[in-house]
Formats: sequence, structure tokens, C-alpha cells
Amino acid sequence: MKIVAAKKILKANDQLANENRAAFSGRQVFCINLVGSPGSGKTTLLEALFAQWGQRCAPAVIEGDIAGQVDAQRMEQIGVPVVQINTDGMCHLDASMIAAAAQNLELTGVTMLWIENVGNLVCTAGYDLGEHLRIVALSVPEGDDKIIKYPAIFQRSDALVLTKIDLLPHLNFRTAKARADMQRLAPEARIFEVSARTGQGLPELATWLVERRAAAAPSRS
Amino acid sequence: MHEMSIVQALLEQVAEEVDQAGQRGRVVSLHLVVGRLSGVHVDAIRFGFELLSPGSIAQGAALRIDQPPARCHCDRCGAAVEIAEIVSACPVCGHADIIIRGGQELLLQSIELEDEDQAGEASSSDGWIHENRGSKEDPEGQ
Repeated sequence: MKIVAAKKILKANDQLANENRAAFSGRQVFCINLVGSPGSGKTTLLEALFAQWGQRCAPAVIEGDIAGQVDAQRMEQIGVPVVQINTDGMCHLDASMIAAAAQNLELTGVTMLWIENVGNLVCTAGYDLGEHLRIVALSVPEGDDKIIKYPAIFQRSDALVLTKIDLLPHLNFRTAKARADMQRLAPEARIFEVSARTGQGLPELATWLVERRAAAAPSRS
Repeated sequence: MHEMSIVQALLEQVAEEVDQAGQRGRVVSLHLVVGRLSGVHVDAIRFGFELLSPGSIAQGAALRIDQPPARCHCDRCGAAVEIAEIVSACPVCGHADIIIRGGQELLLQSIELEDEDQAGEASSSDGWIHENRGSKEDPEGQ
């Protein structure tokens, strides 16, 4: 007796992710899943973007970490509503964790919900969380070979943000190579080069995100 | 290592599929499809399965895992070539204007169950009674 299933193994997660997405859309909340290595500058990028927008954006953040409250405290310090998920060793967030965390967030008035995923270029790739947009951060000190070494996460992202580009003069990072590798894997993805420290490239990224949000939720733009 | 979570999801899915098919037999083998660029390591899946399957419906089942390649499409020469791992140039003409697609599959393709006449008598008769009651008396049927 053979049962032909032909279904995604993470189907249960995908279903839950679709429910999350529908719930966020229903509340006019644009959800972004930010992935990248530990130390790629994800939290710093969020701080810089929120400062860039000021009062023009009402963000909330779900912080995913294996342990600790460090990132959540940074968000609290700048007055952004935040929920910390500690995965207790698990290397990625999944859709059920997001559903639970969203219960603990007041989303009324929030326009953008950021999910800062656990720092990991491998395990986060396969898990849809219910986001509208997935952004992968790659800091230039990590090296320009990371895109072809960890293709899955780059292939499935809507944008690549090269961070810490103020360090480029001190590194052998080839921006053109990184761009070309990303274009081979994700031809539709946008590529940004930013430095949270100098502010370079931030306005372009901030503008694009607002446009994407407006395109996803035209009634409130 | 997220393969543990994937095996956990797989085992739940196998139980669900077998249940939905109204079957109760032992699972003899599972056919999985894990794309070359899926970021999922087949050895880690096998290891996770060894660790997590005992006591589950899939205990002792054989794993058949297909690993479909990705495809490299060349903008210059038009070649569409299967690739087992990532490349940065067209394997045919060597040009760098390529797009890589596919190879990301992560599927439970099929489940092979023990034939009923091979199954233990006690479990198969028990299964039939439950099946009958479930469909006729379930007040929340429909």
C-alpha cells in the first residue's frame, strides 16, 4: 500500500505562516523577516532605519535569539514595542513562535512588524514566518563568498543588504562579485549597500521599504 | 542544525497522511525529495530520523531520498544545465551571465505501508472497529 503525498515537509509551518500573513495583512501590518549571520548588524540596521524614519513609521519588533534579552533591550531603549523570543538552542524561528509572540504585541497603530531572526544563514532559510518581505543582511567583513556558500537563504530573499560598508577600504570584499552572485540566485531581488554608522545608503533602503509597504497595503498609504 | 525540526515535522506529517488515508499498517519506507540547494543535509536527516523515529509510526522505515539538482540558465548561450552544486559561470560557454533556479525541494513524496495481510492480526482488527465507529458515530462528522 502506497500513499502518494507529494507535499512539502514543512507544510504545517507553511500553513501557519499563511495564517500569520493573513492576520498581519488584515491589521494593515507589513511584516519583514530579517535574516543574516550573528554579528551581521541586523539590530544596528533596525536602529538606524527607525531613526531614519522617525515619526513617519510605527514599527514593532519580534526579536529571535537563542538566549538573552540584549536585542530586546536595545529596542526598548529607543521606544520600539518589542517581544523577545528565546529559542533555547533552536537555530531558527518558526511560524508557531511568531503566532505566539504576536499575541503579546499590541499591533494597533503599528505599520511595520520586523522579525529579527536568529543569527544563522542556514536554518532560517526554509521557514516561512508569515512575512511579506524577507531581507538578508550580509556584513562586508563576513566575506564576499557567503552568497555562493549559503545559497538557499539568498535565493529566497527579496533583498540583500550589504552592511558595514564603511569598512570596505579595509577589506578585500568585492561588492561587484557579491552583486553578481546575488543576481544569479535571485534575479528579482534588490541589493542595497548601507552603513548604519555613516548613514550611507540608508535613505534608499528606507524609501524602498516604505514603497513596498504601500504596495502591499494601498488603503493606508 | 535544523534537520531535527524537519524530521519532527516529517514524522507528524507521516502520521497525519496515514491517518487520513484510513490506514494503520506499519510504515515500511518513506520517499523524500531534498533539493541540492535546499540547505538541508541528507546525512543529518538520516541521523535525525534514526534518533526520532523509534516509537513513532515510521519506526524502522527505510528512507529513500532523491536529491534533484538545480538548473543553470545561461543568458549568453541559452543553455539550461543541471547542476549538483552552485556555479558562478555557465558550464557550457563559461559566461557569468547565468541564473540559477530550483534545487530547493523539500518534499514528502510517498509513504509505503506494510500490506494488510502482513500486518499483525490484533492491530488490523482493532483498526477496523475504530474506523467504523469513527465514521458512523462521530457527532462532529460532516
